Amino acid sequence: MNLILRPHRAWFSLWRRDSLSAIGLTTLVVLVLLGLFGHYLPIGDATRIAAGPRLAPPSWRFPFGTDELGRSFLPRVVLGIRATFLLSALAVAMTACLGTLLGMVAGYFRGATDQIVARVADVLFSFPALLIGLLIAAAAGPGETSAVAVIAVAALPLFVRVVRSVTLTLSGRGFIVAAEVAGASPLRIMGVHILPNIAGAVVVQLTYALSIGMIIESALSFLGLGVQPPDASLGSLLRQGSAYLTFAPWLALSSGLVLSAAIMSVNLVGDAVRDALEPLQGRSLT
Amino acid sequence: MRFFLYALSTLASGLVTLFGAAALVFASLRFVPGGYADILLGPFATPAAREAIGRRYGLDEPLFVQFLHWIVAMLHGDFGVSMVTRRPVIDEFLRRAPVTLELAVLALTMALAVGLPLGVAAGVAPVKAKRTLLARLVGAFGASVPDFVLGTILIFVFSVWSLWLKIGGFAPFSEDPILNLRTMLLPAMTLAVFGAALIVRTTRDAVLRVMTEPYITAAVARGAAPWEIVRRHVLRNAAIPVVTVVTTYFGFLLGGAVVVEVLFSIPGVGLYAYNGLGNRDYAIVQAGALLAACVFITINMLADMLYAVIDPRLAASGAR
Amino acid sequence: MSALIEARGLTIAYAARERHAVALDAADLTVERDESLALVGESGSGKTTLGMAIGRLLPPEARRESGDLLVDGHSVFVAGDEELRALRRDKLGFVFQNPMTALDPTMRAGRQVALALGGANAETVRELLARVELPDPDRVMRSFPHQLSGGMAQRVVIAMAIARKPLALIADEPTASLDASVRDRVMETLGRLRAETRASLVILSHDLRMVARHAGRVAVMYGGRPVETGPVERVLKQPAHPYTRALLRAGAGGEKPGERLEPIAGSPPVLAARAESCAFAPRCPMRQAVCSQNRPEPRAVEGRLVACHFAEAMLAERHAVEETKP
Repeated sequence: MNLILRPHRAWFSLWRRDSLSAIGLTTLVVLVLLGLFGHYLPIGDATRIAAGPRLAPPSWRFPFGTDELGRSFLPRVVLGIRATFLLSALAVAMTACLGTLLGMVAGYFRGATDQIVARVADVLFSFPALLIGLLIAAAAGPGETSAVAVIAVAALPLFVRVVRSVTLTLSGRGFIVAAEVAGASPLRIMGVHILPNIAGAVVVQLTYALSIGMIIESALSFLGLGVQPPDASLGSLLRQGSAYLTFAPWLALSSGLVLSAAIMSVNLVGDAVRDALEPLQGRSLT
Repeated sequence: MRFFLYALSTLASGLVTLFGAAALVFASLRFVPGGYADILLGPFATPAAREAIGRRYGLDEPLFVQFLHWIVAMLHGDFGVSMVTRRPVIDEFLRRAPVTLELAVLALTMALAVGLPLGVAAGVAPVKAKRTLLARLVGAFGASVPDFVLGTILIFVFSVWSLWLKIGGFAPFSEDPILNLRTMLLPAMTLAVFGAALIVRTTRDAVLRVMTEPYITAAVARGAAPWEIVRRHVLRNAAIPVVTVVTTYFGFLLGGAVVVEVLFSIPGVGLYAYNGLGNRDYAIVQAGALLAACVFITINMLADMLYAVIDPRLAASGAR
Repeated sequence: MSALIEARGLTIAYAARERHAVALDAADLTVERDESLALVGESGSGKTTLGMAIGRLLPPEARRESGDLLVDGHSVFVAGDEELRALRRDKLGFVFQNPMTALDPTMRAGRQVALALGGANAETVRELLARVELPDPDRVMRSFPHQLSGGMAQRVVIAMAIARKPLALIADEPTASLDASVRDRVMETLGRLRAETRASLVILSHDLRMVARHAGRVAVMYGGRPVETGPVERVLKQPAHPYTRALLRAGAGGEKPGERLEPIAGSPPVLAARAESCAFAPRCPMRQAVCSQNRPEPRAVEGRLVACHFAEAMLAERHAVEETKP
């Protein structure tokens, strides 16, 4: 309630308790807002060629400088934030639904179903993400769809494994057995009794997968296998900028730092969520 | 005996996973629009060439039979021939493997040297101590800055001030060890930061979890010194998650750190697979993915056996 | 010689985020040398906090607000780290509720016992395991904890606790996790070892009847302090505190056919601060106006310490009931 009525108070109380999480949360909110609405800001046109001189250093007019076509780089970075967040969030959200479902079914029914699902997760997990990226790019060609597929392959085992193991321990517990004895259908048990109890684990995994998704998306775009020009993601902007690293370093550095800040904010928020959901307090050794 | 059975079941499940990985690679290249002939020949091949390739690879046979042929060929070491060099792909990979191995070992050593002590310290330290904050900051930073960003920044910094280290101009260790290290340290460092962050975070959590266990309270109650408790009880009981994450990390490194090898022009398997894609030399991509999965699964089987050595309960239950 | 363990007005609170719970409310307790004392109470009564405070083994969020606890004349709260370790090592021995989690799962039992002995050879370990009545000590030494039964594991824990010949053994619900069939035998071993070494034994338990068989004195805890402390036979036969009586009537085991078990109405209190009245008053069948106004302090009544305004009335009522019996 406090969070909605007095957000600044909630923020200050978080800041006092855990300043690192507060910084992460603030950065994340700012970046997401920039990604969603940034292109309405009066910061210049991302696509106008020769808006200024080529490869101009940062100035009042072009805060992040200009690229090799004379485009202002700041609005391009804002577009890149949008693409990076949207693509990875979309891929992770889809994967989370599928992975949660599979993990729950495997953990609840056990037996052959479980064996198959767990094995598929093992198989997917055994490929380094970027080699899957190369494979999918070879099969389906580079592009945004391929990037989404790679993220899904990399993130699916994360959800399946965690959800499955939590469901396995849950399904032996009294309230599940009680619901079974009372004649609840498996669908009802999974939806009503198991899902609320694994939600915490899924949320933790969600933030973790989102940060990995953003790393994969930008790495693929950096290698030229993800977002294709003239569209921009933070990774493709870094690829573009690194060609001029020695005489226009602001291109690579600005996009690289924004990307790092974005991923770090997701990780910090994820850590805070995890610490809140499962606080660990060891004893002191003295 | 129990350990032997456990090892056997680990081996069996590893083989099943490997089979699944092979099927996935096979499917990914056979089910694409245009078919395998397209992948091998490119879209502009003549019908005659397509037919020839179809006969040679048995493309008119049922998929399952094709898959079996393919598996059998690989068991004989035949991973296909590079379109560009006309040499067996497996030879090319084996020639580049030592470079990737060296990079992986260097990065892992650095990551462990930083990650383990920091993680243990953060896990053991009383809550809210400064060390926890530092470990969280290092952990979040290392896990968040992608290797290509860090690599780009390092390249920028070291191209301005060279500081003895070199970017590019790789030389094999056997020919010029000094030059080799000068070129390998930066890429290894780039990879190690992520690994160190991963290890710090996992170690901290594992240690913290062990610290809540009653046997730690029992050891404190017996008046054991903190360092003794850490050495005798904490490290071993916290080891399994750390072994898991170290194995995963090392497996991915051995699979070819594509981005870093591309960025620093290190002629390892990752760069080779990436260039294979660029040259539309798909046999290389296919073999690269499969070999990476192979290495990864093998390392994981070894780790599974290590778990049973660390925690005797695992071998007893037979569970993984 | 002074008492072995002495708690003086010890107040300990747990400070969770923005919440504050008093676990010990100015608790007084004396444990003499060479005696066995049972701390009895429901969960939340503070018995575990008091027992663990003897070795200053409290969780990190526990704060001592006032009072002190002395072991062999030395305050455990003033002691430095090294002094505290020496005290735990040489003067105290702890036995925990669940032996399966109190033993390191990745280390063989023999090595754990050897470490507790301060690095002893196999022969010493074997002798110690024989003393706790473990059959086949050699097999036990080679075993990992998960290969032992609960009773055997608890005997290993007991062996580790007595390894350094402590002055006091503190056993926190030592048989709660064991099969009923081995409980008494484990308790008997514990009692015999205590008598042999002339150490003191502090048993933390919620089981009054088990206590009756194995302890010389009992301290019944309620609301973070002992409310009735005295020799077992006196206190259990003739409780002078309404809570002790309620606990006796609620406990199964000694009832005669046709007799009802009477559950205690209400639930134990969670104190936010020092109780300024009797903490048991809300659940007490004998409460009067004074009970919710004045905090009863422990006083000597018929060979025991009782913190109740109506201890004499309790005892008189009991006498009256006995006299009217035919």
